[in-house]
Amino acid sequence: MYSFLRLSVLLVGLVVSAGSYAVKAAQPLTTADDLGPNVEQPFEFPHDRHAGDAADGGMEINCMYCHTYARRSIVAGIPPVQKCVGCHQNIESVREAPRIKKLFEYWDAKKAIPWKKVHDLPDFVRFNHERHIQRFVFAQGKPVQEACGYCHGDVKKMTVARRQKPLSMGWCRSCHMKDHRIDATSTKTSQGPNDCWQCHK
Amino acid sequence: MSITNLLENWSDFRHQHPSEDRPHLEYKWAMSIDLDSCTGCNACSVACYAENNLPVVGKEKFAHGHSHHWMRIERYWDNDGREFADQGAQFLPMLCQHCESAPCETVCPVGATNHTADGLNSQVYNRCVGSRYCNANCPYKVRYFNWYDYPTTDNVWPAPMEQQLNPDVTVRGKGVMEKCTFCVQRLTVAKSDARTEGRLVLDGEVQTACQQVCPTGAITFGNLVDPLAKVGKQWMQQQVDLNKDKQAKDAAEDAVKLRGYRILEELRTYPSVMYLEQLRESAI
Repeated sequence: MYSFLRLSVLLVGLVVSAGSYAVKAAQPLTTADDLGPNVEQPFEFPHDRHAGDAADGGMEINCMYCHTYARRSIVAGIPPVQKCVGCHQNIESVREAPRIKKLFEYWDAKKAIPWKKVHDLPDFVRFNHERHIQRFVFAQGKPVQEACGYCHGDVKKMTVARRQKPLSMGWCRSCHMKDHRIDATSTKTSQGPNDCWQCHK
Repeated sequence: MSITNLLENWSDFRHQHPSEDRPHLEYKWAMSIDLDSCTGCNACSVACYAENNLPVVGKEKFAHGHSHHWMRIERYWDNDGREFADQGAQFLPMLCQHCESAPCETVCPVGATNHTADGLNSQVYNRCVGSRYCNANCPYKVRYFNWYDYPTTDNVWPAPMEQQLNPDVTVRGKGVMEKCTFCVQRLTVAKSDARTEGRLVLDGEVQTACQQVCPTGAITFGNLVDPLAKVGKQWMQQQVDLNKDKQAKDAAEDAVKLRGYRILEELRTYPSVMYLEQLRESAI
């Protein structure tokens, strides 16, 4: 019935298919890197110091300690100043560091820190942090930093976070068309949603 | 859905939906509208404007047919040759019927309108090139085209009115087609919440904007797959089968008078909206 379409589809498909098979062949979840712009923040927040491995002098703090909404909301959330101060008022050793002084300036002025958005998706995209964290961290039992890293890159080695992944639709799909185990023990797999309205609003 | 995926699985996306081999497994969103309860108050239409960032185009453009009422109230006068009908107008809220075999989907040259697994007729603005074939092929005329860039050129939402826009719904630009989505932004949230708790969306957990505001409760919305859903019970009670283009109850000689019907179902569009006929004194 759609044979006239099939022909044209075949022709276009020939060009495109080469690319798609290349994507399919790459099974591990490490995906293409595409370094984003340097985002100028009010002051430097050292992600490596907080979330990095102990061997590299990091504190190995769980991403979700500060980005606490990731597991229960569509957005991961930027922590309020209160959260920073909650720990830092008890850490005397770095109290005089310039960054921490800056932090307490905002705290004393009762002002929110105007952090800039690093991973900014277009307005027509509906991305849900909760779904991804529930699936990969809570169902599959993947380490948090690995699961967050699929999209956010190796944040534990960055100071100021910088976009590392392309965050384009084809890139999202490259992961959505892989077979993911439904939980830690099961051999059953399923793919991410393949439905325009799941992500486009 | 990437373009490669679209091309590779073209026949799947063009699948005629009411079929034995591809049943709806988890969700099939459907609606029923009781015309006997409908008072034609237009609250549903207003709620839709608020929920879905619809531009109010003004009197002149409305007269040109450029309006954007995804949910519109149609009026029918049954006046039997008299100047005025005894019982006033009959109202019929008309919205996208989310046909299972939608005529608009097959004619889109770029695959911007597709059928989702949940039985929704989706419209993806980013892919739409504005050919308007879908509108031409829609028997219900429920697709609306953006002839102008309403937010900028027409200043439909002068500051600070843009603050009332729903962030979960795209503000459409010039040159794309748009239509009722069954409030997909609400469905997505409800589905996600249910998924986290490891269950399906319960009946009544999610409401469309029009359903939520209807003062007489004329609109019922829910999951047709769910045996406990009110909408499914209504469909069953009225003996309206989603997958039939001719209902068995209409064929029977001594047909019991049931009120349920679907508009233009003989066109084999298999619409997801069932209407319950208005009871009029003249009909009794």
